[in-house]
Amino acid sequence: MTDQLHVRPGIETSTSPAADKHALAGRVRRVGALHQAERTLRSMRAYGAVILFSSVSQPIMYILAMGLGLGVLVGDGGDFAQYGASSYLMYIGPAILASTVAMSAGIEFTFPVMEGFKWRRLYYGAQASPLSPGQIASGHILAVSVRFAVHAAIFTVVLALFGAVSSPWAVLQIGSALLGGLAIGLPIMAYVSTLRDEKGQMSLIQRFVIMPLFLFSGTFYPLTNLPGFLQVIGWFSPIWHANELGRVLAFSQPTPAWMILVHVLYLLGITAGGWLITVRIFSRRLGLEEWRGRTPGAKADARRQTRMAARDGADVERSAAERSSADRSAPERGASDRSAPERGERPASDSAATLPRIVFRRGFAANYYSGNIRAVFGRGLTAIRNNRGVIFLSGLLEPVLFLTSFGLGISPMIASVDAEQVGLGGGGTISYAAFIAPALLAVSAMNGAIFDSTWNVFFKLKITKLYRTMMSTSLGPVDVAVGEIALALFRGGIYALGFLGVLMIGGLVDPLAAVLMFFAALFIALGFASVGMAVTSFLSRFQQMDWMMMVLIPMFLFSATLFPISVYPAGVQVVIQALPLWHGVELMRDIAFWDFGALTLVHIGYYLVMTVIGLSVTTYRMKKLFLR
Amino acid sequence: MNLSFILPDDTGANIAPKDEPSAPSTLHLMPVEHAIRATGLTKRYGDFTAVDGIDFTVNRGESFGLLGPNGAGKSTTMRMIAAVAARSGGTMEVAGLDPEQNGPEVRALLGVIPQQDNLDEELSVRENIIMYGRYFGLPRRWLNTKTEELLEFAQLTHKATSRVEDLSGGMKRRLTIARALVNEPEILLLDEPTTGLDPQARHILWDRLFRLREAGTTLVLTTHHMDEAEQLCERLIVVDQGRIMAEGSPAALIREHSTREVLELRFGLDRNQEQAEQLSTLLDAADASGSIGFSHVEVLPDRLLVYAASAESALERIHAAGLRPITSLVRRSSLEDVFLRLTGRSLVD
Ligand SMILES: Nc1ncnc2c1ncn2[C@@H]1O[C@H](COP(=O)(O)OP(=O)(O)O)[C@@H](O)[C@H]1O
Ligand SMILES: [Mg+2]
Repeated sequence: MTDQLHVRPGIETSTSPAADKHALAGRVRRVGALHQAERTLRSMRAYGAVILFSSVSQPIMYILAMGLGLGVLVGDGGDFAQYGASSYLMYIGPAILASTVAMSAGIEFTFPVMEGFKWRRLYYGAQASPLSPGQIASGHILAVSVRFAVHAAIFTVVLALFGAVSSPWAVLQIGSALLGGLAIGLPIMAYVSTLRDEKGQMSLIQRFVIMPLFLFSGTFYPLTNLPGFLQVIGWFSPIWHANELGRVLAFSQPTPAWMILVHVLYLLGITAGGWLITVRIFSRRLGLEEWRGRTPGAKADARRQTRMAARDGADVERSAAERSSADRSAPERGASDRSAPERGERPASDSAATLPRIVFRRGFAANYYSGNIRAVFGRGLTAIRNNRGVIFLSGLLEPVLFLTSFGLGISPMIASVDAEQVGLGGGGTISYAAFIAPALLAVSAMNGAIFDSTWNVFFKLKITKLYRTMMSTSLGPVDVAVGEIALALFRGGIYALGFLGVLMIGGLVDPLAAVLMFFAALFIALGFASVGMAVTSFLSRFQQMDWMMMVLIPMFLFSATLFPISVYPAGVQVVIQALPLWHGVELMRDIAFWDFGALTLVHIGYYLVMTVIGLSVTTYRMKKLFLR
Repeated sequence: MNLSFILPDDTGANIAPKDEPSAPSTLHLMPVEHAIRATGLTKRYGDFTAVDGIDFTVNRGESFGLLGPNGAGKSTTMRMIAAVAARSGGTMEVAGLDPEQNGPEVRALLGVIPQQDNLDEELSVRENIIMYGRYFGLPRRWLNTKTEELLEFAQLTHKATSRVEDLSGGMKRRLTIARALVNEPEILLLDEPTTGLDPQARHILWDRLFRLREAGTTLVLTTHHMDEAEQLCERLIVVDQGRIMAEGSPAALIREHSTREVLELRFGLDRNQEQAEQLSTLLDAADASGSIGFSHVEVLPDRLLVYAASAESALERIHAAGLRPITSLVRRSSLEDVFLRLTGRSLVD
């Protein structure tokens, strides 16, 4: 709140401009949205280095990884002449620009909005000033637009430096990418601004909306490579429309004029509609106007209440039944309860039902580990049960979507992969889908583990302060850390099972390998979860999460997931081999193609080291954080 | 048995409860008679000293208060008792154990009610209590019964399946207390249990705390409301800026540091200071016989406080001298006056 006071000089700070309340109100009516935008931009400036760095590094990474790396596999680029591009890199350049903007729209229009309404209630602070709710919404949209435009401009320059544009109109990509980002972001912002509570909707949006719209938008291959029913997703995806516009601008992709008009109108239409609806929702929520006596999300809450009540009812009946059976056997139990307290137990006080002994671990590190990981794990399961099942299951979808998109979309361009070239013994060729499938399992294990151990842990550490509560009981920091990691593995294990099921149905792995791959996925997840938690324990603000993403994306791009590491010069290969995901990907491939060697042990060793270091640091930090 | 703290020592003698009839010697012969004992307790955050070498003892079954303004170091002290903050100096024993060496074990003896409710919003009301019990390693079956009992105690049975979010402030506070009782703690730490509650919710809560006291639970509570301290604490320490200003039962503190009655006078904002001197001289002279029991006058921004054994006679005197305060009020002395006397500032600013 104080932020707002500071960044709008002349309104609250000095007396003279504020003296004429009438003029002041008029000014705010006219340019209030700009004030709000300025405020948001200023708060962005705090992590402006991150934004600038990612704007410069993202295009370079994508160009090196996808354009050049995958380009080697796809061929000499002759196929892309029909689209007006001279290389694969040139073909995907504008689409990657549009896609990166759309992905960051998925962040910028969700978390800050939730923060404004719920987590920090910043909007309620702005609301107390003369700003109208609509201006608060528009201000945020404007600020994010500025960020996108800067990003797109830098991106375009980098593309030009790599010779990946051939038309001066490419500059206008800034507009097309921005429009694409708004068209995907504003409807999401409208939805998020109706939420009273974040119960996993953010990851639902990521997995069910942004991911499919991105993966089936013809970013890495022409949309027509996909079977017809998947092309339909592309037609609806603002990313596809922005991609195609960008291609027209960057290298004059031959496109009929009416089609260009369709792209522009589609994007403009959604943007305008989304903007209007968002402003309206903000006005209702922050203004005096009620939701016609209806609270958003109330119906869903009521349904959930009934469900919980039914389950609780069952629990109470069960416990009542247990109680009555326990009463019958009370004499014996009472006698045994009264045995002399042993070492490490505390005598029970007398109440209606005697308090069972609270048992401690004694001895080594008793101050850190009380031997009760189960309780932390159990709490997590209960919370998952209380959340919507669909959120839990949505994690299954991600690797399947990736496999579908790349398997089906890229396969027409790459008939098969030479086993020799990807470092597998035995010779012969393997299908592109079979090549990427094991790697995607490793990637999904990483993503799941990282999500659980970063976002979720950060949340419980800083926002809900759950760990602080846990640490006021007899739990020690090790119980909390290990319990949370176990929970991440449990979730990751279920996702791995699901994906392996899909792979087996598709005939991409055989059952024996699948069993081993399941355990390998858990092992990889353990390594990432341990390190992820250790890193999270050092973070203090949401925005620092961006750094995390900036490590994860290149790791994915340069992990030899989508193309073999041999496409790179030796120097680059060494860098890739130092990164953890490469080891995971290779470990999975070793298992899937039954091709074990000394390197397999190195991969396993790498993850063992990660786990040990991660867990040690986490425990140390937990102690620091909670025993200050 | 640890003998070191059985031997009487200087610091121990200083802080022996003032109106405790039992002599320190008999007290010290008992094994671990005190629930909590701190000596030279210090907490520094960088250069800033939040708790500055304080000594206190809490006896078993006692209800003990830390009274002080915001920032006095009350919460910090509580967190050091609960083994969630490391000491910068001094010793601490909770039931004879050092919280820093035996964190989990000490916390198993404690029920902690933090200043901010930190309920688990992803769980229902009932699940909040059950899961909290699970953190102590208590069996689920026993917890199912215990939870019903606690919900009853906290008057939340009808809300058992609700989401935490749907509870009122008072209900949340009661749930936090119920949750902290799940391990049947020997010592309950309450950090500002009623701050932010409306009077009715506060009285419900006090009632619950009285019951716990009856049942023999040791209560340690912090507050900056003197009425709460007077209601709930048998003995308390007054803390300010990390130091102990005074110690004793509420009645004894008032007796020692204040007069029996107080006369509050308002003369209008700009006239208070000059009137104070005049009143002082007047009452000093009039009190030659000792019938007024005049002590001194305090000047607050909006009013004057005249400390006297008989405020009524003081007021008569003032009227007789022809002074006409805008309002006047006679009341009994409270801990607020004690604090004012000790620090020259009022408790709640
Ligand atoms: N983690 C911390 N880091 C730095 N200073 C702190 C921290 N916690 C408390 N303080 C400071 O210590 C002082 C005492 O705080 P606290 O114990 O919360 O006081 P009280 O509970 O009596 O209001 C305050 O001035 C507060 O700002
Ligand atoms: Mg406090």
